[in-house]
Amino acid sequence: MRGENKRSVIVGIFVFLGIAILVAGVMTLGGQQKKFVKAIQLKAVFDDIGGLQPGNNVWFSGVKIGTVRKINFYGDSQVEIEMNVEEEVREFIRKDSKATLSSDGLIGNKIIVIYGGTTLAPPVEDGDRLESVMPLDTDKMMETLQENNKNLVDITNDLKVLTGKLAAGEGIVGAVMTDSTLAENFRAIITNLNRASINSNQMLTDLNKFTSKLNQEGNLFNDLVTDTTMASELRATVASFRSSATNTEELTAKLSEISSKLDDPNNSLGMLLNDPEFAEYLKSTLENTDSATYNLNRGLEALEYTWPFRKGFKRKAKAEEKEGN
Amino acid sequence: MAEESDDRKPLLSKKIDKFFTGLADAWNFVRRFWKEVFLPPYEFKEVIHQCYRIGVESLPLISLTGFIVGIVFTNQSRPSLSEFGATSWLPSLISIAVVRAMGPLVTALIAAGKVGSSIGAEIGSMKVTEQIDAMEVSATNPFKFLVVTRVLATTFMIPILVLYTDFVALMGSFLNVNSNELVSLSTFFFQVFESISFLDIWSSVLKSLLFGFTIGIVGCYKGYHSSKGTEGVGRAANSAVVISMFLIFIEELLVLQVVNAIRTF
Repeated sequence: MRGENKRSVIVGIFVFLGIAILVAGVMTLGGQQKKFVKAIQLKAVFDDIGGLQPGNNVWFSGVKIGTVRKINFYGDSQVEIEMNVEEEVREFIRKDSKATLSSDGLIGNKIIVIYGGTTLAPPVEDGDRLESVMPLDTDKMMETLQENNKNLVDITNDLKVLTGKLAAGEGIVGAVMTDSTLAENFRAIITNLNRASINSNQMLTDLNKFTSKLNQEGNLFNDLVTDTTMASELRATVASFRSSATNTEELTAKLSEISSKLDDPNNSLGMLLNDPEFAEYLKSTLENTDSATYNLNRGLEALEYTWPFRKGFKRKAKAEEKEGN
Repeated sequence: MAEESDDRKPLLSKKIDKFFTGLADAWNFVRRFWKEVFLPPYEFKEVIHQCYRIGVESLPLISLTGFIVGIVFTNQSRPSLSEFGATSWLPSLISIAVVRAMGPLVTALIAAGKVGSSIGAEIGSMKVTEQIDAMEVSATNPFKFLVVTRVLATTFMIPILVLYTDFVALMGSFLNVNSNELVSLSTFFFQVFESISFLDIWSSVLKSLLFGFTIGIVGCYKGYHSSKGTEGVGRAANSAVVISMFLIFIEELLVLQVVNAIRTF
């Protein structure tokens, strides 16, 4: 009887441990596959899901946040993916986030990767549909590679022709490589270029020295660049120059006005300068005046020898003679 | 006399007739089991006793086998994966192999060899020594006491043994992976559960129930229908193992098809 009880206890322990292993396995699996966490549902529509299956993982920033729940056909030939995503990461996934297809490792299972999203957009809500981005298709990559291969063949063909011409001495480069005279000339050019570079180096050294002198304190250019007082004085000078220029401008305007008036024959100076009739008249007047002056001089000379002015002239001559002595 | 000669004349051929007669007997045997299992009196003590014999006493052998299977399978898989530089996939590979197929299959085959043969031999010897007839005479239902208890015990103990085998095989695999790839226990089990699903676990458990039932019912059937003295006992034990193993493989194939159909659904 005692043996039977012992046996029963051992069987009970045996069964209990077996069930414990089962429960532990189920709980671990559920926890790992996020079966027992509160989840929201997100959707995305793809043209081609490349073998994605329900149960495949959903990643966000490299972290597994859920699994693919369901795959439905959508529209004409598209496929709608329903994903279970943990409720606690909802706030990090924004409505403008994108969903794309990827794989877990190089040859691993297909996964959905959610990425992007800005803080300007609000967090996603249950049932939201994310914008989907198709990944690079291997066939398209192969097509591009094929195109590249063709281009590479063309390039190598061109290169072959080019090197053939070079070897045959065609063209400038070919001639340089095969013609000794041209090669000598080329070498001379290179030598000259070398010299020129030496000279330019020298020039740069001189220029360096010159600029270092200019940079010395007390130098006018250095003061111009560094002395703030001088700068303000220069600024004041420029301001006074500007003022002078303004005055000169006004003066010029006035002179221009005067000159325009001078051009006008309706005023006295204008008439004097511009009216030929008046000039003729003035000329004849001056001639008459000259003639009159001449006659007047003669009259006055005659007057010197006539009474009663004769006595006065003699007296003046004596006084001048006395002052001379 | 003419009727007697008609009865002895085979319908198709002697062997084919014998095969179908055996099939009909087996069907009736299974039907009788399902009838008796729900009818009182219930032999709880005998069920516990058989559980102890089938489950607890088989544990060391099955644990050792599972442990060796885990290590060997890991070691054998490594070269193929290392060709791709994918030895980090060993835990995933081992978990799929052990949980989905090897755990239930290895446990069932070992149990068929150990438990099935012992049931067949035990009931067979009771049959040839007319102990079963004596039980009937003493108003004890031998079918309920001998068959129902053993079949229930195998049906419920094999799944428990499978869980142990899975665990021990994964631990064996971990020791091997840890010594070669320096993977920690938590990382190993993370990868183990990463690649399996609930369907894998439940299908493994249900499959084990089926295997356990098969081992028990075949062993009991072969023992219950043994004849020709001690030679018949040996034959019953032998055929119990062979037929159990054969049926286990057939069931594995069928269950695999069903599970795959569910998986893709």
